[in-house]
Amino acid sequence: MIEVVDIHKRYRGRSVLNGASFTVEKGQITCLIGINGAGKSTILKAIMGLTPLKSGTIRIDGQPMDKNLYESIAFIPDHLTMPPGMKLSEGLRFMQDFYQSWNANRAEELMKFFSLDQTERIGNLSRGTAAKFNLVLGLAQDTEYVLMDEPFSGIDMFSRGLIAEVFSSHLIEDRGVLLTTHEIGEVEHLIDRALLMKDGAICRDFQCEQIRSEEGKSIVDVMREVYQA
Amino acid sequence: MKMNESWTDVTFNGRDPVYLQVVRHFKEQLATGRLEAGQIIPSRRELGAMLKINPNTAQKAYKEMEEQKLIVTEGNSPSRITLDDNLLRSIRSELISDAVDAFVVSVRKIDVPVEELLDIVKQKYLESNETERQVQEGGDQA
Repeated sequence: MIEVVDIHKRYRGRSVLNGASFTVEKGQITCLIGINGAGKSTILKAIMGLTPLKSGTIRIDGQPMDKNLYESIAFIPDHLTMPPGMKLSEGLRFMQDFYQSWNANRAEELMKFFSLDQTERIGNLSRGTAAKFNLVLGLAQDTEYVLMDEPFSGIDMFSRGLIAEVFSSHLIEDRGVLLTTHEIGEVEHLIDRALLMKDGAICRDFQCEQIRSEEGKSIVDVMREVYQA
Repeated sequence: MKMNESWTDVTFNGRDPVYLQVVRHFKEQLATGRLEAGQIIPSRRELGAMLKINPNTAQKAYKEMEEQKLIVTEGNSPSRITLDDNLLRSIRSELISDAVDAFVVSVRKIDVPVEELLDIVKQKYLESNETERQVQEGGDQA
């Protein structure tokens, strides 16, 4: 379980995170929803220890973040961070050198699934193809948790379908997934749990099937209550 | 195969629990004969991938169907559709009755005499059959 407890962060005199608390369970897909600039990406970076916090605690399976935990938690940022001169095959090698958790078979499976060409240069990839390769780099690590920042952003409709397919496959099963999005469309029927962010904190935290059966509301209905109020 | 096409052909709405929509989808397949008694159904993982839903949701749908005795799982063998004819017949009446109930609730507000209503229903129903037939014929010619 990833536990985020009462985290605060200020950036350039503005309060970005203001007491956000939540948990991410293994075997569930949890979605962090918020309008642009709500602080979703900052939370992911904070979990990965990539940005300093003013206060608050983050624990992964009871442990504070440290470098060994990078083997059990993968982060897929919203853009590809690999050197553009590398070929995709070299990018895969690069990851293999860095991560013990790297699973070469799974990487190959994912490359085929997304029809990616190993000989292509990273810098020549279109935005959508780069996003797919970015997913390969994250999902090919055998980690307990995966964090994804806006995996659907800038991707065409058919590729969105492909990515949605990944979410319902063994590539995700049994892991704890936390993803962020500002448009719920693609993931509405895929996610187990939704966290709605507002003013730097989590203002709603619910199991999606439960809110449907108990209140007859869609995720979008709840979002309207929160963001249009 | 035609059955496979119809499998993935589900549009989920956002407000009803997805697992119940899956159960309903199965019932519709059974009522229209696209799924048959005793037929082996996909594993929860396969179903998740086919319908693009979370495997947890697929699991929950199967659990619900097991409780309703729609599907049976013996030991480690794959789940199958039940062989219970009475149950399968009751599904058709259940679906029809649900649809008619919903119709009655919405039409009751307009307060139409039942005879007039039945005539309209009959006429509309025949019209929609006719349209469907034309669409199919058109498709065959093309």
